[in-house]
Amino acid sequence: MPILDYITVSFLVIPLIILVLNNLFSKQFVERINFKLVGVVAILQMALAVAGFSLLSAAHWEDYRFSLLWDWTMEEAGYFAVNSLSLVFLFCIGFVLLVAVLVAKATVEQRKTAFVNLVLTLLLGMNGMVMVRDLFSLYVFLEIVGISSFVLVALFQLETGLEGAFKYLVMSSLATVFILTGLAFVFMQTGSLQYAQAWADWLSVQGTAQLYTYLAFILLISGFALKTGVVPFHSWLPDAHQSANTAVSILLSGIVIKVAGIYGFIVLTKLFPGFPPVALALRILGLLSIVVGALFALRQTHFKRLVAYSSVSQMGYILLGLSSGTTLGFLGAMVHIFNHATFKSTLFTNAAALSAQAGTLELGELGGLEKKMPVTGFSSITAFLSTAGIPPLAGFWSKLLIIMALWKSEAEGFAAVALLASILTAAYFLRLQKKVFFGQLPEKFGAVTEIGGSVKFAELMLSAVNIAVGVGFPLILLFFEGRGLL
Amino acid sequence: MEQYLLVICIFLPLLGAFLLPAVGKRKAKLRNQMALFLVAATFLCSTFLLPALHSGSPLFLHFELPLGLSFGFYADALAVFMALAASLVATVIVLYSFGYIKEEADQNEYYMMVCLFIGAMMGLVFSTNLIFIYMFWEISAICCWRLIGFYREATTIRRANKAFIITVAGALVMLLGFIGLYGETGTFDLAAMKGIAIPSWVVVLVLFGILSKSATFPLHSWLPDAGVAPTPVSSLLHAAVLVKIGVYVYMRMFVATLQIDEVFTVAVPALAAVSALVSAGAALRANDLKRVVAYSTISQLAFILLGLASGNEIGVVGGMLYILMHSVAKGGLFLCLGIVEHNVGTKDLTKMGGLYRTMPLTAIAFLFCAFSIMGIPPFGGFFAKYLVIAGIVAEGKVLLASFFIIGAVLTVLYLTRLFVKVFLGEATFPQVKEGTPLMVGSALFLAVLSAVLGIGIRVPSGLAALIGRGM
Repeated sequence: MPILDYITVSFLVIPLIILVLNNLFSKQFVERINFKLVGVVAILQMALAVAGFSLLSAAHWEDYRFSLLWDWTMEEAGYFAVNSLSLVFLFCIGFVLLVAVLVAKATVEQRKTAFVNLVLTLLLGMNGMVMVRDLFSLYVFLEIVGISSFVLVALFQLETGLEGAFKYLVMSSLATVFILTGLAFVFMQTGSLQYAQAWADWLSVQGTAQLYTYLAFILLISGFALKTGVVPFHSWLPDAHQSANTAVSILLSGIVIKVAGIYGFIVLTKLFPGFPPVALALRILGLLSIVVGALFALRQTHFKRLVAYSSVSQMGYILLGLSSGTTLGFLGAMVHIFNHATFKSTLFTNAAALSAQAGTLELGELGGLEKKMPVTGFSSITAFLSTAGIPPLAGFWSKLLIIMALWKSEAEGFAAVALLASILTAAYFLRLQKKVFFGQLPEKFGAVTEIGGSVKFAELMLSAVNIAVGVGFPLILLFFEGRGLL
Repeated sequence: MEQYLLVICIFLPLLGAFLLPAVGKRKAKLRNQMALFLVAATFLCSTFLLPALHSGSPLFLHFELPLGLSFGFYADALAVFMALAASLVATVIVLYSFGYIKEEADQNEYYMMVCLFIGAMMGLVFSTNLIFIYMFWEISAICCWRLIGFYREATTIRRANKAFIITVAGALVMLLGFIGLYGETGTFDLAAMKGIAIPSWVVVLVLFGILSKSATFPLHSWLPDAGVAPTPVSSLLHAAVLVKIGVYVYMRMFVATLQIDEVFTVAVPALAAVSALVSAGAALRANDLKRVVAYSTISQLAFILLGLASGNEIGVVGGMLYILMHSVAKGGLFLCLGIVEHNVGTKDLTKMGGLYRTMPLTAIAFLFCAFSIMGIPPFGGFFAKYLVIAGIVAEGKVLLASFFIIGAVLTVLYLTRLFVKVFLGEATFPQVKEGTPLMVGSALFLAVLSAVLGIGIRVPSGLAALIGRGM
């Protein structure tokens, strides 16, 4: 089906073309249109992902393979492929990119060309990661993602200066070392890094080389855990998020940690099928993240730092969903990835609005702003309720699916703790609401007004998505059922 | 084709609520009228559900979903009874709010949250699926959070957060119970669970949610603190919607649908007895108007729980009647106190006195409502209290019954004390005027209704008996 060829190739080619265009013309000209171009790329990516998804399911194909300039049907040749999973990720990438660019319009004032270059590189890296079908290419694209992210963090030298970016760089290289060494062990065992090949071979060698299995497993899981920022590998994440420009925080928290980290975990669970420590490790990491992340969030005094710790906590739910090893849990994790992209982007968008209008993100200095900034206040409440898993917002359903899946796979204890930990989420967000929006307005904020333009639009759009997914979730369930997933 | 009535009942207030702020930005008066219309129409629609009920074929809607999430709305006697009680009292409260709230900021949010609250209540009572019950349960918690924090002061926000955290924590434990139940039965659909015996640990988990929402000892402490809300909101929380949600879910799950262990017919009433006595004692000592009445609510809720958990048809019918009578009388009582507190400017009992001279109508309304809560014939509360106690005696639990009789005596004491301190004695605020006609009228309406429901007890008891028979 040639149309699928065009669609799939464009996920890689479009960012490249725009990247070239962005540097081809004079800066004055480029900086007038390049944000709009990225916005168009984001919307296009979402549309293409939806189109690809429909075509793929209409044809009842498992996946669709393609390459750029070489013949992938040759023996031992690498290739790209899309399946429903990668298309869902591609859609989320486009979605978060759109929000980030809307916010960047307000927050990025200098170095626009550099920013766009880096964002497009990041996009290329993430798109590549979810479409490759061998571990080494995965690693290459992971590096592209890593490098463009920490340069993005460092680009504007905000607040804590370069510390956050430096920490991120160090941790990221550590992760790289782990992952690369882990891959070496896999290669030693199986002689191939193609997913399909490695998965098949792994099964046959299991048991004969327990030591290598364990080594590869530990290294890979630590590497991806570092990239995701789950406890106890989380120390870089709040610093990086806080010191980055808010548009960058949206990208990092909304999608980068999921593509670079969670997607890695997904590959990992397939690489070690039926290896009992996988589920256990995911469960322990997940639960630790949920509880510890939330406890840290309770004590933060900076808006973005609190939200960053909340991301740590939410990643835990996604890992728990993956750990169940069932379709239900996997679906829950996928929906939670999308929902988390929505509500976490909302919160960072709120942060952009607050720092632009009120001039600070220190919780102690803010207060009572919902009267002056009703849209920001309202959208932050939708995000709060969704994160805490309170119906009828979207986050409730994904958590419910994850917890039901855990319960069904006889991890009742994990399910119970994960569910009850929602109260911690509610607690730190109530505290945030009290300090920022709910309450009396301090005099110094008498002249504050609501933010306008693209940021306000992003807030409204994200709240609408959040509510619509929550209220319309029965339809999504019917869709899953129709595809035979439930 | 009458199912649309059921849809209107739920979605008119639920969706209409979101129009109110938009309308209110332009025309405050139109917004108020719309809010009243939404709530009153909900009440009317609920009454239209009665004919189908009496003809023996209650209205029913059903949607198939995977994962045992199939849900529907079912207008059986229990649901209609709850809907009628809640929407009737809520209508009066909205009317009263026109006077009480007119000078405040954030009126748009106020009316929106009140309507949303009623919508959540409607959705909750008609839902047949536990997950959807949980959904409406949490919507009510959100409304409650915004409404308790209405005045936006540091204390009110803290109290609002406290109420939210306690009720949501309870609800999460309850949700865990629901998931446990799902693990046992493979469904969340109550219609598919009829008559199933369920393990006791599920009951205990669900009870956490019920007790936290219905402010029963030991999860009651948020309710007295929630008195910082505007008084019509307190009235709404105590009388019309919030605290009745918990006892309703007890009734729906453990009495009307599932089978639970015998031990709960002793354990729950025993817990209720502790709750009744402790809170009645606290009510005797409290010096804040609204705290006294809040403790009184906790104490009265224990009576309701006693009736429903007695495992006996008389008790259950009594418990249901108690929900109605308490809604009407406690709603009226709060409306009276609202007038007092609004015009006097304090909530401190010790500073008040002799208000019957300047507020005779409010005093009479207060007395009527108080009589009903004390259980003095012929007011409605008498019949309910009598049936509840008769139910537990019929089960042979005389000791438990005697605790509740002590509780009833204490009720008489603290309400009399409240009346004496506020309305009798030396006049400390001689310049204070009676409330606006609309406010006093609303209070009087509920007071008279308490008497009318008692004298015409046949009407509500007919419906309550229908619930009892359907068990």
